[in-house]
Amino acid sequence: MEDTLGISRRDLLRWGIVIGGAAMLPGGLRPSLAHADDLPPSPHTDPFILELKPGQGIPPVARKVTPFNTQADPGICVNVDGTTAFHVSKPRVVPANTEFFLIHEKSMSHSFHPQLPNNILWGYDGLIPGPTIVAKSGTPQLVRFVNDLPVNDPVGIGEPISAIHRHGGFQAPQDDGYPLDTFCTGQSRDYFFPNRPAGGLLQNEHSTNWYHDHSIDITGQNVYRGLSGFYPYTNSFDTGDEGTGLHLPANFYNGTPVGPFDIGLVFQDRQFNSEGYLVYNTFDHDGFIGDKFCVNGLIQPYLKVQRRKYRFRFLNGSNARVYQFFLSSGQPFVAIGTDSNLLPQPVTAQSVRISPAERVDVVIDFTNYQNNSEVFLVNRLQQTDGRKPNGLVSRGTPILKFLVEGVVPTADPSDVPATLLPVTEGPAQLLPQVKVQRRIKAERSNGAWVINGQFFDENRIIARPKRGEPEIWILESGGGWVHPFHVHLSEFFILSRDGKQPPPLERGRKDTVLIGGDVARETRILIKFEEFTGRYVFHCHNIEHEDMRMMAQFEIQP
Amino acid sequence: MNVMWLFTLLLLLAGSGCSERALKHMPDVSTSAGPPNRTALIRTEHLPNVELTTHEGRAVRFYEDLVKGQVVAINFMFTTCGNTCPLITEHLAMAQKSLDEPMRHKITLLSISLEPEHDTPEMLRGYRKTRGVGPGWIFLTGRRDDIEFLRRRLGVYDLDPVIDTDPSQHAGIVILGNEPQGRWKAISALSHPIRIRQAMERTILPPNQWPTGETVVNEVPSQDNEEVETADLSILPSVN
Repeated sequence: MEDTLGISRRDLLRWGIVIGGAAMLPGGLRPSLAHADDLPPSPHTDPFILELKPGQGIPPVARKVTPFNTQADPGICVNVDGTTAFHVSKPRVVPANTEFFLIHEKSMSHSFHPQLPNNILWGYDGLIPGPTIVAKSGTPQLVRFVNDLPVNDPVGIGEPISAIHRHGGFQAPQDDGYPLDTFCTGQSRDYFFPNRPAGGLLQNEHSTNWYHDHSIDITGQNVYRGLSGFYPYTNSFDTGDEGTGLHLPANFYNGTPVGPFDIGLVFQDRQFNSEGYLVYNTFDHDGFIGDKFCVNGLIQPYLKVQRRKYRFRFLNGSNARVYQFFLSSGQPFVAIGTDSNLLPQPVTAQSVRISPAERVDVVIDFTNYQNNSEVFLVNRLQQTDGRKPNGLVSRGTPILKFLVEGVVPTADPSDVPATLLPVTEGPAQLLPQVKVQRRIKAERSNGAWVINGQFFDENRIIARPKRGEPEIWILESGGGWVHPFHVHLSEFFILSRDGKQPPPLERGRKDTVLIGGDVARETRILIKFEEFTGRYVFHCHNIEHEDMRMMAQFEIQP
Repeated sequence: MNVMWLFTLLLLLAGSGCSERALKHMPDVSTSAGPPNRTALIRTEHLPNVELTTHEGRAVRFYEDLVKGQVVAINFMFTTCGNTCPLITEHLAMAQKSLDEPMRHKITLLSISLEPEHDTPEMLRGYRKTRGVGPGWIFLTGRRDDIEFLRRRLGVYDLDPVIDTDPSQHAGIVILGNEPQGRWKAISALSHPIRIRQAMERTILPPNQWPTGETVVNEVPSQDNEEVETADLSILPSVN
């Protein structure tokens, strides 16, 4: 009974998956290789007993608040919800149609799994993932983040200081979460997001972004502790309504009884001690790998789905782990977007590989499954240290169970049209304008990381691209390490992987690309910056590498 | 403003009180009820009590005598290392020297020899003298297996065994820890000395007192280094 994925009934039994009413609960869920951090394995947890549902792993959409004053000088400020904080942002005027949000970073008790004790985590509004902030193209947003994290938290990891980066976002340098633009406990900071496409081009409209902590030295600890959330976009074609635009499966969870049929799924690996408390290794600079697989903060949950199409926004929110997902039924994914943008056309893929901070939007159609069918999302990429994945394994680990419900298919007004987001300004149009190329070489040196032979310095600019002038960046990585390379402000096109055309899922736009290791020694990208000038960073999104300053700065010239 | 300060102070007192209690009683993490205290967890996992010998010939235990209750900057070196160690020592010395007077006394530098058979206390004393190392900085030697164990616990290793056993490529990172507050981080010791000092300040001071923003960025003069080539479009695969 070996299917096309190499998953047999024996494997399913080995994983402890309930089949025909019989439950097998062996301890076969752990990676077979020893943990790179020499940590003992996490305690056993039964998979697929925890439901992923609105309010439990599926966060609500953030609600707008009454517009507030943004023109006061830094100082003590009473927020519209009655809370008080020292506000650090400079005065500014925002457009009249700006939507306002107020989000508190706080510590909270969180259950990863009913067989483990609750852990004290940090989350935006005390949620994991944080509230989903939905942007609408053409409507600017101002989000005030208040840091209510405990000073000298006696448990856990992380430091109560924040910089918020809207990953994939098109925003000014002062709103980009530069690692030293921080605010601490008792303080608040505003982030203004214009929510318009770069260069006014339709092709640059966004679909799936996310927000997370980005503060100096300790981003890895703070993100691991819980500080991340989704920041999806809606626009004239990806409308968030399946009755309009491209008719993609839609409806975020916003408290209404419809849906959700558009669900963000963030994958994060975590490690627990023998008592079930979350552990992390602050001394691991290779990239921390955990042996428990969480989806939206829950260990191996299940999700009830109706017999219709769903859109899932896959986000790898792990610090260092790379995944490659398959469906246990052998059904391929229909990918509709990569990183910030929809793809020009849907790409049918048997598997999707996703490295830290990458996103892949997929549509899965459950119409043709029978009532009570179980379909597993399986990660077959094994990884035991932060250097690189060990390779594909035949069995892998099921991470999420879709439980299909419905004697008959559900009415489904959604569609996946053959054309999604045409590229009107791609390599064919831009390459003739390219004048310069830059080499960006990531290397390990004396236990830390260098880019082009130099350690990061906050006052070193290594590239000065001119606004509106496309460039080729040649990304190289030495020593067999992989690095998810992320550029702030602009998405890019991947021109080549070791001289060859990139695979289909990498032919759309990207803002994060895995380089090095067995992936590609040399990756060429085509990038152009629009509108904003000033200083931004690019860095490795293996967050332990990032905290060890695998980062550099570029300054866009007018 | 006063209310905020009082609030922060209360939080600080509550937090540090917890840490001190934990240190006094050294709870066994494996049997404690509730989430493990972060200080105790780090002590158990990463701060072994191995015996070391200082450059003054004094026998010390790593955790009890050097790290417990302290803010520390730890690096690994050896006296005959010709390429990176002298530079690292110089950077750390400059970083230490540039700390403000009250802050300088709040951090202890610990340099641990990777060649302990050769680096006797006498050798380490000589090295300190030639390098102009001042007070608040202890050089350490010991048994090789103890130091190897300690090095791995502190994450100062390379996954590539060839690089890991090659002393000329040893990790040039400095581990920064505020032991009572359970806050640990690391930075390359080959970074600009002012960057190392700033990271030391962020280790000594609680986050609400960290210097941040443009002044921190611009304290080091511009290190700009831009290299641009003329684009070569001939080697790209055909695009669709």
